[in-house]
Amino acid sequence: MSKEAQLSIAERDFILEALCENVRLDGRKPDDYRPLNISFGEEYGHVKLQLGKTNIIVRISAEVTKPREDRPFDGLFNINLELSAMGSPAWENGRTNDIEAYATNILDRIIRHSNALDTESLCILKGVSCWSIRADVHIIDYDGNITDAACIAVMAGLQHFRRPDAVVRDGRVIVYGVEQRVPVPLNITHKPLSVTFQTYNDSKHVIVDATLKEEQAAEGDIVIGMNSAGDVCYLSKYAGAPADAMAIVNKTNVAWEKVKEINAAIEKVLQADLAKRAKIGMADESRAENDRLVQIE
Amino acid sequence: MVGPIASLSQLHRSDGSASYKCPATGYSILGAVNGPIELPARRDALKPEEATVEVFVKPGTTTGGVGERYIEGILRSVLGKIVLGREKGFPRRGVVITLAIVGGENVARGDNYLTILPALLHTGLLAMISASVPLSMTFSATLLGVTEDGDIVRDPSPTAAKAAVSLHVFAFSSKNHLLLNESEGRFGFDTWEYVRERALSICQGETTASADGDVAMGEGTASASVSGFIRETVEDQIYSDYAYKLDSI
Repeated sequence: MSKEAQLSIAERDFILEALCENVRLDGRKPDDYRPLNISFGEEYGHVKLQLGKTNIIVRISAEVTKPREDRPFDGLFNINLELSAMGSPAWENGRTNDIEAYATNILDRIIRHSNALDTESLCILKGVSCWSIRADVHIIDYDGNITDAACIAVMAGLQHFRRPDAVVRDGRVIVYGVEQRVPVPLNITHKPLSVTFQTYNDSKHVIVDATLKEEQAAEGDIVIGMNSAGDVCYLSKYAGAPADAMAIVNKTNVAWEKVKEINAAIEKVLQADLAKRAKIGMADESRAENDRLVQIE
Repeated sequence: MVGPIASLSQLHRSDGSASYKCPATGYSILGAVNGPIELPARRDALKPEEATVEVFVKPGTTTGGVGERYIEGILRSVLGKIVLGREKGFPRRGVVITLAIVGGENVARGDNYLTILPALLHTGLLAMISASVPLSMTFSATLLGVTEDGDIVRDPSPTAAKAAVSLHVFAFSSKNHLLLNESEGRFGFDTWEYVRERALSICQGETTASADGDVAMGEGTASASVSGFIRETVEDQIYSDYAYKLDSI
Protein backbone atom coordinates (compact mmCIF):
# COMPACT_ATOMS: atom_id res chain seq x y z
CA MET A 1 0.00 0.00 0.00
CA SER A 2 1.37 3.39 -0.85
CA LYS A 3 -1.63 5.67 -0.81
CA GLU A 4 -3.69 7.22 1.95
CA ALA A 5 -7.25 5.96 2.11
CA GLN A 6 -9.28 8.31 -0.04
CA LEU A 7 -12.09 10.46 1.23
CA SER A 8 -15.53 9.20 0.40
CA ILE A 9 -17.73 11.44 -1.74
CA ALA A 10 -20.11 11.94 1.17
CA GLU A 11 -17.28 13.03 3.46
CA ARG A 12 -15.93 15.43 0.87
CA ASP A 13 -19.36 16.98 0.29
CA PHE A 14 -19.91 17.26 4.02
CA ILE A 15 -16.64 19.14 4.53
CA LEU A 16 -17.31 21.47 1.60
CA GLU A 17 -20.90 22.22 2.57
CA ALA A 18 -19.99 22.73 6.21
CA LEU A 19 -17.32 25.24 5.11
CA CYS A 20 -20.01 27.19 3.25
CA GLU A 21 -21.64 27.69 6.65
CA ASN A 22 -18.23 28.51 8.16
CA VAL A 23 -18.08 25.31 10.16
CA ARG A 24 -15.11 22.97 10.27
CA LEU A 25 -15.09 19.31 11.21
CA ASP A 26 -13.60 19.92 14.64
CA GLY A 27 -15.52 23.13 15.30
CA ARG A 28 -12.61 25.50 14.73
CA LYS A 29 -12.90 28.87 13.04
CA PRO A 30 -11.21 29.16 9.60
CA ASP A 31 -8.20 30.99 11.06
CA ASP A 32 -7.69 28.79 14.12
CA TYR A 33 -4.82 26.40 14.69
CA ARG A 34 -5.34 23.12 16.48
CA PRO A 35 -4.06 23.03 20.07
CA LEU A 36 -0.27 23.29 19.95
CA ASN A 37 1.81 21.54 22.55
CA ILE A 38 5.60 21.84 22.60
CA SER A 39 7.84 20.13 25.12
CA PHE A 40 11.54 19.45 25.35
CA GLY A 41 13.41 16.25 26.11
CA GLU A 42 16.39 15.80 28.37
CA GLU A 43 18.99 16.70 25.76
CA TYR A 44 19.35 20.12 24.20
CA GLY A 45 17.50 20.44 20.93
CA HIS A 46 15.13 17.53 21.48
CA VAL A 47 11.64 18.84 20.73
CA LYS A 48 8.36 16.97 20.99
CA LEU A 49 5.56 18.77 19.23
CA GLN A 50 1.89 17.98 19.00
CA LEU A 51 -0.40 19.90 16.72
CA GLY A 52 -3.77 18.29 17.20
CA LYS A 53 -3.12 14.67 16.27
CA THR A 54 -0.02 15.45 14.20
CA ASN A 55 2.93 14.44 16.30
CA ILE A 56 6.55 15.29 15.55
CA ILE A 57 9.91 14.78 17.21
CA VAL A 58 12.86 16.93 16.17
CA ARG A 59 16.42 16.33 17.26
CA ILE A 60 19.20 18.80 16.62
CA SER A 61 22.78 17.58 16.66
CA ALA A 62 26.17 19.14 16.05
CA GLU A 63 29.51 17.76 14.95
CA VAL A 64 32.79 19.23 13.80
CA THR A 65 33.55 18.80 10.11
CA LYS A 66 35.53 20.40 7.31
CA PRO A 67 33.76 23.32 5.59
CA ARG A 68 33.01 23.22 1.89
CA GLU A 69 35.86 24.22 -0.41
CA ASP A 70 33.96 27.12 -2.00
CA ARG A 71 32.67 28.48 1.32
CA PRO A 72 35.52 28.29 3.84
CA PHE A 73 33.86 30.75 6.26
CA ASP A 74 30.53 28.95 6.48
CA GLY A 75 29.43 26.12 8.71
CA LEU A 76 26.96 23.50 7.53
CA PHE A 77 23.28 23.26 8.33
CA ASN A 78 20.98 20.53 7.10
CA ILE A 79 17.37 19.65 7.69
CA ASN A 80 16.63 15.99 7.30
CA LEU A 81 13.08 14.78 7.00
CA GLU A 82 12.43 11.12 6.34
CA LEU A 83 8.95 9.69 6.41
CA SER A 84 8.61 6.23 7.89
CA ALA A 85 5.70 3.84 8.25
CA MET A 86 5.34 5.12 11.81
CA GLY A 87 3.64 8.33 10.74
CA SER A 88 1.17 6.75 8.37
CA PRO A 89 0.76 3.20 7.00
CA ALA A 90 0.69 4.75 3.53
CA TRP A 91 4.36 5.70 3.78
CA GLU A 92 6.87 3.02 2.94
CA ASN A 93 10.08 2.75 4.91
CA GLY A 94 13.19 3.77 3.06
CA ARG A 95 11.39 5.19 0.02
CA THR A 96 10.83 8.81 -0.74
CA ASN A 97 7.41 10.06 -1.69
CA ASP A 98 5.87 13.32 -2.82
CA ILE A 99 5.00 14.61 0.64
CA GLU A 100 8.56 14.09 1.81
CA ALA A 101 10.06 16.00 -1.12
CA TYR A 102 7.45 18.74 -0.76
CA ALA A 103 7.90 19.22 2.99
CA THR A 104 11.71 19.05 2.79
CA ASN A 105 11.71 21.67 0.08
CA ILE A 106 9.51 24.05 2.08
CA LEU A 107 11.57 23.61 5.27
CA ASP A 108 14.76 24.20 3.30
CA ARG A 109 13.45 27.32 1.66
CA ILE A 110 11.92 28.84 4.79
CA ILE A 111 14.54 28.03 7.40
CA ARG A 112 17.77 27.34 5.55
CA HIS A 113 17.63 29.70 2.60
CA SER A 114 16.28 32.60 4.64
CA ASN A 115 19.42 32.23 6.80
CA ALA A 116 17.48 31.79 10.03
CA LEU A 117 20.57 30.07 11.41
CA ASP A 118 23.66 32.20 10.85
CA THR A 119 26.01 29.67 9.25
CA GLU A 120 29.01 32.02 9.41
CA SER A 121 28.90 31.83 13.20
CA LEU A 122 29.46 28.09 12.89
CA CYS A 123 32.95 28.55 11.47
CA ILE A 124 35.72 27.54 13.89
CA LEU A 125 38.86 27.79 11.79
CA LYS A 126 38.69 29.10 8.24
CA GLY A 127 38.75 26.33 5.67
CA VAL A 128 39.78 23.75 8.28
CA SER A 129 36.94 23.07 10.66
CA CYS A 130 33.41 24.21 11.28
CA TRP A 131 30.25 23.01 12.99
CA SER A 132 27.77 20.96 11.08
CA ILE A 133 24.29 21.37 12.53
CA ARG A 134 21.75 18.78 11.64
CA ALA A 135 18.03 18.82 12.32
CA ASP A 136 16.30 15.45 12.12
CA VAL A 137 12.53 15.53 11.79
CA HIS A 138 10.67 12.37 12.80
CA ILE A 139 6.98 12.37 11.96
CA ILE A 140 5.45 9.86 14.31
CA ASP A 141 1.77 10.62 13.77
CA TYR A 142 0.38 12.23 10.65
CA ASP A 143 -2.86 14.13 10.65
CA GLY A 144 -2.25 16.87 8.12
CA ASN A 145 -0.16 20.04 8.00
CA ILE A 146 3.30 18.57 8.57
CA THR A 147 4.97 21.60 7.00
CA ASP A 148 3.82 24.02 9.70
CA ALA A 149 4.34 21.52 12.49
CA ALA A 150 7.85 20.60 11.31
CA CYS A 151 8.74 24.25 10.82
CA ILE A 152 7.66 25.16 14.36
CA ALA A 153 9.49 22.15 15.81
CA VAL A 154 12.74 22.83 13.93
CA MET A 155 12.74 26.51 14.91
CA ALA A 156 12.01 25.64 18.54
CA GLY A 157 14.80 23.06 18.42
CA LEU A 158 17.33 25.49 16.99
CA GLN A 159 16.55 27.99 19.73
CA HIS A 160 16.75 25.31 22.40
CA PHE A 161 19.93 23.64 21.16
CA ARG A 162 23.31 24.32 22.76
CA ARG A 163 26.49 23.27 21.00
CA PRO A 164 29.71 22.47 22.86
CA ASP A 165 32.18 25.33 23.13
CA ALA A 166 35.17 25.23 20.80
CA VAL A 167 38.26 27.45 20.78
CA VAL A 168 41.33 27.70 18.60
CA ARG A 169 44.63 27.68 20.45
CA ASP A 170 47.94 27.74 18.55
CA GLY A 171 46.18 26.68 15.39
CA ARG A 172 44.62 23.67 17.11
CA VAL A 173 40.90 23.31 17.66
CA ILE A 174 39.86 22.32 21.16
CA VAL A 175 36.27 21.24 21.73
CA TYR A 176 35.21 21.39 25.35
CA GLY A 177 32.75 18.88 26.72
CA VAL A 178 29.43 19.95 28.18
CA GLU A 179 30.82 19.30 31.69
CA GLN A 180 33.88 21.47 31.12
CA ARG A 181 32.40 24.64 29.68
CA VAL A 182 28.90 26.05 29.43
CA PRO A 183 27.60 25.10 25.96
CA VAL A 184 26.71 27.95 23.62
CA PRO A 185 23.36 28.67 21.98
CA LEU A 186 23.16 28.95 18.19
CA ASN A 187 23.06 32.32 16.51
CA ILE A 188 19.51 32.76 15.23
CA THR A 189 19.08 35.79 12.96
CA HIS A 190 15.30 35.71 12.69
CA LYS A 191 12.47 33.30 13.42
CA PRO A 192 10.55 32.39 10.28
CA LEU A 193 7.58 30.03 10.41
CA SER A 194 5.35 28.63 7.75
CA VAL A 195 1.60 29.03 7.70
CA THR A 196 -0.25 26.73 5.32
CA PHE A 197 -3.69 27.55 3.97
CA GLN A 198 -6.04 25.29 2.05
CA THR A 199 -8.54 26.69 -0.41
CA TYR A 200 -12.05 25.43 -1.17
CA ASN A 201 -14.94 26.35 -3.44
CA ASP A 202 -12.95 28.51 -5.92
CA SER A 203 -10.93 29.99 -3.03
CA LYS A 204 -14.06 31.42 -1.44
CA HIS A 205 -13.15 29.54 1.70
CA VAL A 206 -9.58 29.53 2.91
CA ILE A 207 -8.66 27.75 6.12
CA VAL A 208 -5.45 27.45 8.10
CA ASP A 209 -3.92 24.28 9.62
CA ALA A 210 -6.03 21.68 7.83
CA THR A 211 -6.35 18.17 9.18
CA LEU A 212 -5.65 15.23 6.88
CA LYS A 213 -9.31 14.98 5.85
CA GLU A 214 -9.54 18.68 5.15
CA GLU A 215 -6.31 18.48 3.14
CA GLN A 216 -7.73 15.68 1.04
CA ALA A 217 -10.87 17.67 0.32
CA ALA A 218 -8.98 20.85 -0.58
CA GLU A 219 -8.59 22.12 -4.13
CA GLY A 220 -5.28 23.88 -3.54
CA ASP A 221 -2.88 25.16 -0.94
CA ILE A 222 -0.95 28.34 -0.23
CA VAL A 223 2.18 28.30 1.93
CA ILE A 224 3.39 31.55 3.43
CA GLY A 225 6.72 31.70 5.25
CA MET A 226 7.10 34.72 7.48
CA ASN A 227 8.94 35.99 10.53
CA SER A 228 7.67 37.98 13.52
CA ALA A 229 8.75 41.27 11.92
CA GLY A 230 6.35 40.59 9.05
CA ASP A 231 8.97 39.85 6.38
CA VAL A 232 7.64 37.31 3.91
CA CYS A 233 10.51 34.96 3.15
CA TYR A 234 8.61 32.35 1.22
CA LEU A 235 5.37 32.18 -0.64
CA SER A 236 4.21 29.31 -2.75
CA LYS A 237 1.15 28.29 -4.60
CA TYR A 238 2.40 24.84 -5.35
CA ALA A 239 -0.36 22.95 -7.09
CA GLY A 240 -4.10 22.64 -7.39
CA ALA A 241 -6.73 25.12 -8.44
CA PRO A 242 -5.79 28.78 -8.91
CA ALA A 243 -6.20 30.96 -5.82
CA ASP A 244 -7.73 34.39 -5.72
CA ALA A 245 -5.04 37.10 -5.50
CA MET A 246 -6.96 39.02 -2.84
CA ALA A 247 -7.18 35.86 -0.73
CA ILE A 248 -3.38 35.67 -0.71
CA VAL A 249 -3.07 39.33 0.31
CA ASN A 250 -5.66 38.96 3.08
CA LYS A 251 -4.25 35.73 4.35
CA THR A 252 -0.75 37.18 4.58
CA ASN A 253 -2.07 39.37 7.39
CA VAL A 254 -3.59 36.33 9.07
CA ALA A 255 -0.28 34.51 8.68
CA TRP A 256 1.57 37.36 10.38
CA GLU A 257 -0.76 37.21 13.37
CA LYS A 258 -0.30 33.44 13.57
CA VAL A 259 3.50 33.65 13.32
CA LYS A 260 3.60 36.20 16.14
CA GLU A 261 1.30 34.04 18.26
CA ILE A 262 3.27 30.84 17.68
CA ASN A 263 6.65 32.51 18.19
CA ALA A 264 5.36 33.84 21.51
CA ALA A 265 4.23 30.34 22.44
CA ILE A 266 7.69 28.93 21.56
CA GLU A 267 9.37 31.66 23.59
CA LYS A 268 7.17 30.85 26.57
CA VAL A 269 7.99 27.14 26.67
CA LEU A 270 11.66 27.89 25.97
CA GLN A 271 11.89 30.23 28.96
CA ALA A 272 10.04 27.77 31.17
CA ASP A 273 12.43 24.99 30.14
CA LEU A 274 15.55 27.12 30.63
CA ALA A 275 14.31 28.20 34.08
CA LYS A 276 13.77 24.55 34.98
CA ARG A 277 17.27 23.64 33.79
CA ALA A 278 18.84 26.56 35.65
CA LYS A 279 17.17 25.36 38.84
CA ILE A 280 18.58 21.85 38.52
CA GLY A 281 21.75 23.39 37.15
CA MET A 282 24.94 21.47 37.40
CA ALA A 283 23.99 20.13 40.84
CA ASP A 284 24.53 16.53 39.78
CA GLU A 285 27.72 17.18 37.87
CA SER A 286 29.35 19.33 40.56
CA ARG A 287 29.01 16.90 43.43
CA ALA A 288 32.25 16.35 45.34
CA GLU A 289 31.91 12.58 45.33
CA ASN A 290 31.89 12.42 41.51
CA ASP A 291 34.86 10.99 39.65
CA ARG A 292 37.43 13.55 38.62
CA LEU A 293 37.59 14.22 34.90
CA VAL A 294 41.13 14.05 33.63
CA GLN A 295 41.77 16.85 31.18
CA ILE A 296 43.51 15.64 28.05
CA GLU A 297 45.15 18.35 26.03
CA MET B 1 18.81 -0.16 39.78
CA VAL B 2 16.16 1.78 37.90
CA GLY B 3 14.12 -0.44 35.62
CA PRO B 4 12.92 0.47 32.14
CA ILE B 5 9.75 2.44 31.47
CA ALA B 6 7.36 1.46 28.70
CA SER B 7 3.90 2.28 27.48
CA LEU B 8 1.72 0.90 24.72
CA SER B 9 -0.51 2.27 21.96
CA GLN B 10 0.46 5.91 22.04
CA LEU B 11 0.26 6.64 18.33
CA HIS B 12 -2.94 7.12 16.35
CA ARG B 13 -2.04 6.16 12.82
CA SER B 14 -0.12 2.94 13.20
CA ASP B 15 -1.84 -0.33 14.11
CA GLY B 16 0.22 -0.77 17.23
CA SER B 17 2.92 1.19 18.98
CA ALA B 18 5.10 1.18 22.05
CA SER B 19 7.56 3.53 23.64
CA TYR B 20 10.41 2.21 25.70
CA LYS B 21 12.97 3.99 27.81
CA CYS B 22 15.94 2.35 29.46
CA PRO B 23 17.38 4.67 32.12
CA ALA B 24 20.55 2.60 32.57
CA THR B 25 21.72 2.98 28.97
CA GLY B 26 19.81 6.21 28.32
CA TYR B 27 18.11 4.99 25.16
CA SER B 28 14.55 5.89 24.38
CA ILE B 29 12.86 4.06 21.51
CA LEU B 30 9.54 4.49 19.79
CA GLY B 31 8.17 1.53 17.89
CA ALA B 32 5.27 1.23 15.49
CA VAL B 33 3.83 -1.87 13.84
CA ASN B 34 1.57 -2.01 10.81
CA GLY B 35 0.17 -5.37 9.94
CA PRO B 36 -1.16 -7.24 8.19
CA ILE B 37 -0.40 -4.80 5.41
CA GLU B 38 -0.42 -5.28 1.66
CA LEU B 39 3.06 -5.51 0.18
CA PRO B 40 4.00 -4.86 -3.41
CA ALA B 41 4.27 -8.15 -5.31
CA ARG B 42 8.06 -8.06 -5.60
CA ARG B 43 8.65 -8.88 -1.95
CA ASP B 44 6.38 -11.81 -1.14
CA ALA B 45 7.94 -14.14 -3.70
CA LEU B 46 10.24 -15.81 -1.16
CA LYS B 47 7.69 -17.36 1.16
CA PRO B 48 4.17 -16.80 -0.09
CA GLU B 49 2.66 -19.10 2.53
CA GLU B 50 3.52 -16.85 5.45
CA ALA B 51 3.74 -13.20 6.43
CA THR B 52 6.84 -11.17 5.60
CA VAL B 53 8.28 -9.38 8.60
CA GLU B 54 10.05 -6.15 7.80
CA VAL B 55 12.08 -4.22 10.33
CA PHE B 56 13.24 -0.65 9.90
CA VAL B 57 15.52 1.07 12.41
CA LYS B 58 15.59 4.84 12.21
CA PRO B 59 18.49 6.47 14.05
CA GLY B 60 17.80 9.70 15.90
CA THR B 61 20.39 12.08 14.51
CA THR B 62 21.91 10.43 11.46
CA THR B 63 20.79 8.73 8.31
CA GLY B 64 20.57 4.97 8.49
CA GLY B 65 23.64 3.09 7.37
CA VAL B 66 25.40 -0.26 7.57
CA GLY B 67 24.99 -0.54 11.35
CA GLU B 68 21.24 -0.15 11.10
CA ARG B 69 20.93 -2.69 8.28
CA TYR B 70 22.97 -5.17 10.32
CA ILE B 71 20.84 -4.79 13.43
CA GLU B 72 17.67 -4.95 11.32
CA GLY B 73 18.79 -8.38 10.16
CA ILE B 74 19.16 -9.61 13.74
CA LEU B 75 15.82 -8.11 14.77
CA ARG B 76 14.06 -9.57 11.75
CA SER B 77 15.35 -13.06 12.49
CA VAL B 78 14.18 -12.95 16.12
CA LEU B 79 10.88 -11.12 15.67
CA GLY B 80 10.09 -12.93 12.40
CA LYS B 81 10.43 -16.30 14.13
CA ILE B 82 7.88 -15.54 16.82
CA VAL B 83 5.19 -14.14 14.51
CA LEU B 84 2.58 -16.73 13.60
CA GLY B 85 2.76 -15.83 9.92
CA ARG B 86 0.40 -18.55 8.77
CA GLU B 87 -2.60 -17.33 10.76
CA LYS B 88 -5.66 -16.34 8.78
CA GLY B 89 -5.15 -13.05 6.97
CA PHE B 90 -1.37 -13.08 7.26
CA PRO B 91 0.02 -15.09 4.34
CA ARG B 92 1.30 -12.87 1.49
CA ARG B 93 0.97 -9.87 3.78
CA GLY B 94 3.61 -7.86 5.58
CA VAL B 95 4.17 -6.95 9.19
CA VAL B 96 6.15 -3.71 9.11
CA ILE B 97 8.00 -2.83 12.29
CA THR B 98 9.45 0.67 12.50
CA LEU B 99 11.74 1.51 15.39
CA ALA B 100 12.88 5.09 15.87
CA ILE B 101 15.64 5.95 18.31
CA VAL B 102 14.19 9.14 19.75
CA GLY B 103 16.39 9.69 22.76
CA GLY B 104 19.81 8.95 24.11
CA GLU B 105 23.26 8.95 22.60
CA ASN B 106 23.56 8.07 18.98
CA VAL B 107 25.35 4.94 17.91
CA ALA B 108 28.14 6.36 15.80
CA ARG B 109 29.00 4.77 12.47
CA GLY B 110 31.05 1.63 13.01
CA ASP B 111 30.25 1.57 16.70
CA ASN B 112 28.81 -1.32 18.59
CA TYR B 113 25.10 -1.75 18.06
CA LEU B 114 24.69 -4.43 20.73
CA THR B 115 24.15 -1.84 23.47
CA ILE B 116 20.82 -0.82 21.98
CA LEU B 117 19.69 -4.28 20.85
CA PRO B 118 17.67 -5.32 23.97
CA ALA B 119 15.78 -2.02 23.95
CA LEU B 120 14.97 -2.46 20.24
CA LEU B 121 13.85 -6.07 20.81
CA HIS B 122 11.55 -5.12 23.68
CA THR B 123 10.06 -2.19 21.79
CA GLY B 124 9.41 -4.41 18.77
CA LEU B 125 7.75 -7.06 20.93
CA LEU B 126 5.56 -4.60 22.83
CA ALA B 127 4.53 -2.83 19.62
CA MET B 128 3.55 -6.17 18.06
CA ILE B 129 1.50 -7.04 21.13
CA SER B 130 -0.13 -3.62 20.89
CA ALA B 131 -0.96 -4.29 17.22
CA SER B 132 -2.44 -7.70 18.14
CA VAL B 133 -0.11 -9.55 15.80
CA PRO B 134 -0.43 -13.25 16.66
CA LEU B 135 2.75 -14.41 18.39
CA SER B 136 3.90 -17.89 19.31
CA MET B 137 5.68 -16.67 22.45
CA THR B 138 7.01 -13.63 24.19
CA PHE B 139 10.61 -13.11 25.16
CA SER B 140 12.88 -10.93 27.23
CA ALA B 141 16.39 -9.78 26.47
CA THR B 142 19.29 -8.30 28.34
CA LEU B 143 22.69 -6.78 27.74
CA LEU B 144 25.64 -7.76 29.89
CA GLY B 145 29.17 -6.43 29.79
CA VAL B 146 32.23 -8.13 31.22
CA THR B 147 34.79 -5.70 32.64
CA GLU B 148 38.55 -6.20 32.75
CA ASP B 149 38.31 -7.45 36.32
CA GLY B 150 35.87 -10.11 35.20
CA ASP B 151 32.86 -8.43 36.79
CA ILE B 152 29.55 -8.71 34.98
CA VAL B 153 27.75 -5.39 34.52
CA ARG B 154 24.07 -5.34 33.68
CA ASP B 155 22.93 -2.78 31.07
CA PRO B 156 26.24 -0.90 30.83
CA SER B 157 26.08 2.73 29.70
CA PRO B 158 27.63 3.51 26.27
CA THR B 159 30.89 4.58 27.92
CA ALA B 160 31.00 1.51 30.17
CA ALA B 161 30.23 -0.65 27.14
CA LYS B 162 33.22 0.79 25.30
CA ALA B 163 35.48 -0.08 28.22
CA ALA B 164 34.10 -3.61 28.55
CA VAL B 165 36.17 -6.56 27.38
CA SER B 166 33.17 -8.37 25.98
CA LEU B 167 29.50 -7.60 25.45
CA HIS B 168 26.72 -10.15 25.36
CA VAL B 169 23.07 -9.88 24.40
CA PHE B 170 20.78 -12.76 25.30
CA ALA B 171 17.11 -13.23 24.61
CA PHE B 172 15.09 -15.94 26.30
CA SER B 173 11.61 -17.08 25.41
CA SER B 174 8.88 -17.09 28.01
CA LYS B 175 9.75 -20.78 28.56
CA ASN B 176 13.43 -20.12 29.16
CA HIS B 177 14.65 -21.25 25.76
CA LEU B 178 17.60 -19.33 24.39
CA LEU B 179 16.39 -17.34 21.37
CA LEU B 180 19.28 -15.04 20.63
CA ASN B 181 22.93 -14.96 21.49
CA GLU B 182 25.03 -12.12 20.19
CA SER B 183 28.45 -11.63 21.69
CA GLU B 184 31.37 -9.41 20.91
CA GLY B 185 34.88 -9.12 22.29
CA ARG B 186 37.25 -11.62 23.89
CA PHE B 187 35.81 -14.25 26.21
CA GLY B 188 36.10 -17.93 27.01
CA PHE B 189 33.51 -20.67 27.26
CA ASP B 190 33.42 -20.43 31.08
CA THR B 191 32.73 -16.70 30.93
CA TRP B 192 30.02 -17.21 28.34
CA GLU B 193 28.29 -19.88 30.42
CA TYR B 194 28.55 -17.73 33.51
CA VAL B 195 27.12 -14.72 31.68
CA ARG B 196 24.32 -16.84 30.21
CA GLU B 197 23.23 -18.00 33.65
CA ARG B 198 23.26 -14.46 34.92
CA ALA B 199 21.26 -13.30 31.89
CA LEU B 200 18.69 -16.03 32.44
CA SER B 201 18.18 -14.99 36.05
CA ILE B 202 17.85 -11.32 35.01
CA CYS B 203 15.35 -12.13 32.25
CA GLN B 204 13.21 -14.66 34.05
CA GLY B 205 13.82 -14.04 37.72
CA GLU B 206 13.79 -17.09 39.98
CA THR B 207 11.59 -19.37 37.98
CA THR B 208 10.67 -22.97 38.34
CA ALA B 209 9.48 -24.92 35.35
CA SER B 210 7.11 -27.75 36.09
CA ALA B 211 7.02 -31.01 34.14
CA ASP B 212 4.40 -29.90 31.62
CA GLY B 213 6.52 -26.91 30.61
CA ASP B 214 4.36 -24.35 32.39
CA VAL B 215 6.37 -21.70 34.15
CA ALA B 216 5.39 -20.86 37.68
CA MET B 217 6.81 -17.56 38.76
CA GLY B 218 7.82 -16.76 42.30
CA GLU B 219 5.68 -13.99 43.72
CA GLY B 220 8.25 -11.41 44.70
CA THR B 221 10.85 -11.90 42.01
CA ALA B 222 8.59 -12.00 38.97
CA SER B 223 8.16 -8.25 38.77
CA ALA B 224 11.89 -7.64 39.17
CA SER B 225 12.71 -9.75 36.11
CA VAL B 226 12.59 -8.37 32.59
CA SER B 227 9.88 -10.79 31.49
CA GLY B 228 7.87 -9.73 34.53
CA PHE B 229 8.27 -6.14 33.43
CA ILE B 230 7.00 -6.92 29.90
CA ARG B 231 4.06 -8.81 31.36
CA GLU B 232 3.19 -6.00 33.76
CA THR B 233 3.34 -3.36 31.02
CA VAL B 234 0.89 -5.34 28.90
CA GLU B 235 -1.32 -6.07 31.92
CA ASP B 236 -1.47 -2.36 32.78
CA GLN B 237 -2.48 -1.53 29.23
CA ILE B 238 -5.18 -4.20 29.17
CA TYR B 239 -6.42 -3.00 32.54
CA SER B 240 -6.84 0.56 31.30
CA ASP B 241 -8.27 -0.58 27.93
CA TYR B 242 -10.97 -2.63 29.65
CA ALA B 243 -11.62 -0.17 32.48
CA TYR B 244 -15.19 0.25 31.26
CA LYS B 245 -15.84 -3.44 31.76
CA LEU B 246 -14.33 -3.53 35.22
CA ASP B 247 -16.48 -0.65 36.37
CA SER B 248 -19.66 -2.34 35.27
CA ILE B 249 -19.03 -5.55 37.17
